[in-house]
Amino acid sequence: MVEGTKKRNRVFDYFCEEDQFAGGVAWCAGCPLELTARFVPQVLGKNMVIVGTPGCAAPVLHGQNVGAWHKLAYMASVMTGVPSKATGLSRYYNRIGQDATVVCFTGDGCATDVGFQPLSGAAERREKIIYLAYDNEGYMNTGNQRSSATPLGAATTTTPVGKISRGKQTISKNMPLIMLMHRPSYMATATLSHLEDFAKKLKKAQEKVKEGFVYLHVFSPCPVGWRINSNMSIEVCRNAVRTNYFPLWEAEDGKPRLTLEVANPKPVVELTKLMRKFSHYKEEDMANLQKAVDERYALIKSLCDAYK
Amino acid sequence: MVSAQKGQVRVITGNAVGAYGAMLCRPEVVAAYPITPQSEIAELLSQFKADGVLDGEYVEVEGENSAMNVVLAASVAGARTFTATSSYGLVFMYDALQETSGFRAPVVMVNANRETPGIHAVSSGQQDLISARDTGWIQIIVENDQEILDQIIMAYRLAEDYDIQLPIMVNYDGFYLSYLAEAVEIPNIEDVDAFLAPLKQQPERQKLVPGVAIGCGTHGMEMGYVEARYKHCQALERVKGKVDEIDKAFGDYFGRYYGGQIEEYRTDDADIVILASGSATGTVRTVIDTKREQGIKVGLIKLRLFRPFPAERLIGVLKGKKAIGVIDRSLCFGWKYGPMCMELRALSPEIGPAPILSYIDGLANLDITVPHIGRVIDEVSAAAQGKPYQEVTWIPMEE
Repeated sequence: MVEGTKKRNRVFDYFCEEDQFAGGVAWCAGCPLELTARFVPQVLGKNMVIVGTPGCAAPVLHGQNVGAWHKLAYMASVMTGVPSKATGLSRYYNRIGQDATVVCFTGDGCATDVGFQPLSGAAERREKIIYLAYDNEGYMNTGNQRSSATPLGAATTTTPVGKISRGKQTISKNMPLIMLMHRPSYMATATLSHLEDFAKKLKKAQEKVKEGFVYLHVFSPCPVGWRINSNMSIEVCRNAVRTNYFPLWEAEDGKPRLTLEVANPKPVVELTKLMRKFSHYKEEDMANLQKAVDERYALIKSLCDAYK
Repeated sequence: MVSAQKGQVRVITGNAVGAYGAMLCRPEVVAAYPITPQSEIAELLSQFKADGVLDGEYVEVEGENSAMNVVLAASVAGARTFTATSSYGLVFMYDALQETSGFRAPVVMVNANRETPGIHAVSSGQQDLISARDTGWIQIIVENDQEILDQIIMAYRLAEDYDIQLPIMVNYDGFYLSYLAEAVEIPNIEDVDAFLAPLKQQPERQKLVPGVAIGCGTHGMEMGYVEARYKHCQALERVKGKVDEIDKAFGDYFGRYYGGQIEEYRTDDADIVILASGSATGTVRTVIDTKREQGIKVGLIKLRLFRPFPAERLIGVLKGKKAIGVIDRSLCFGWKYGPMCMELRALSPEIGPAPILSYIDGLANLDITVPHIGRVIDEVSAAAQGKPYQEVTWIPMEE
């Protein structure tokens, strides 16, 4: 190929640091979490301290796979202590004038379930920390068990399909909205199919965290647990956005705004057909999921419209 | 080092003493959550912060687990930290307690002892500290308000020592001491600074710094895990000597000595010894004096250091004694003896064949009274003379 014929992606303009992770790390093939972990420090810079948990990020962040690691300062935590540890770090670094971006990096299980209390507490106290939840809709590291971020009807190892019951019986928590109700400095959803949008939100997060709490909710499909082909992860992200299953929105100083309004949203089946965790779905199940998606989107949209 | 100036004497509660003790050591990050009987500490420290007397950060957390996580992380980043809790709060910290010691974070915590969950008892007892026995912390039990204050100051000198780097739990009997106002000499803050100054001459401990590739609390796979645990255990062994050393330095400077790991009272010529801890030891001393007048050669060991267990010093005092009585204000589920008695029995091969009698008393705010202790001494004395004895006695159940 002749040099310069392909346009350089604008997302590179947001990079200020080289990749902090070695090649050959221990994440699964096609995992968006790996790409997210590599992407975030490239935008935020390496003056960050990550607080993480046992979970999908752990095999690399915890240094289990010692042959291929990363160059960041990192504190391991049990799932109940992440935002509190980040609080301790950020309070002390601020006090001594140490330049630092303290980032909590956890899965949805930690954020929405077992680690929710300290997350809510830190948000209410307006701690100067960024909490990034990578949402793979369940406990994927322990083998695909349900969390409260698992969607309606999804088959997991603890919400299996059987004769009596078929997948998860309840809808997922609307975590971005719950966090918005804490009135953080900044809240945003993001995913890897819309990288420039993601990068802009990270930059904004870095600015707004100087004033108070920041929550980022990143949609992160799990090729293994959701049973997706490993070359399809980004396509799944894209279809999640295009079906309004995962709306891209943000809220600066409590004011919600859609960062991407999908012109002609596709039916949710365009997303679910890419994976096998919904393969047991009948028409009626699909209608229920579509209803849940529409309801959620309508709520967010009406909030955003109210602030226009 | 010359002597400290005379401090201000004030009549204040054990909880207030805890707050003053912490404030005098200039913690940089404090986090606490209110719980009976500790709440006054959280309130007072908040007031100190509001008045500008406490310069450090004060984090009003949403639960005890978060309190421990906040101070743990701040400590790993390099801060001097303080927190306080009790009972339900302590057990709610359980995972974080283990992380704190595993991270080798020199956190200082005050624990106002209270019974633990299962049976809702808003009352004193040492079951909470016993429940945290295997968390890798240093655990010290004090007797009175002055000792609370002095021990907090000594705790920083010990926890932050380069050769130790471990968290410390300073325990005092909730209700009995938390709400008891007595005269306490509050040292001048400059003298506390001077007493803690030697820490600054030590090598700087490892800290978590942004931009530096360092993993903290990360997976110690196989030998990494074993080595970290081995070093933790070695550090705990070093604590014993350090406690005695720091007690001596404190006494030389402030004029008050506590005996370090254990306090011995009239044990030198004693035939029998009573082992007790906490606020009840004052009563035990009184009864010992009375019994001595009646010709019973009895002494007291006040157990101050519970973890690490002061095996060597206990053996030194108890070797060759004719009988020992242990008063426990807590239970050891699955063993008939009380916890401290069980620990002491592990030293039987070194102490010798003396009968060891276990007494359970003072649970749930029930007083350990003069008649109770009189009975203990009489029975231990009879056992020393070869008479039959009961191995374990729940004193309140037999009254």
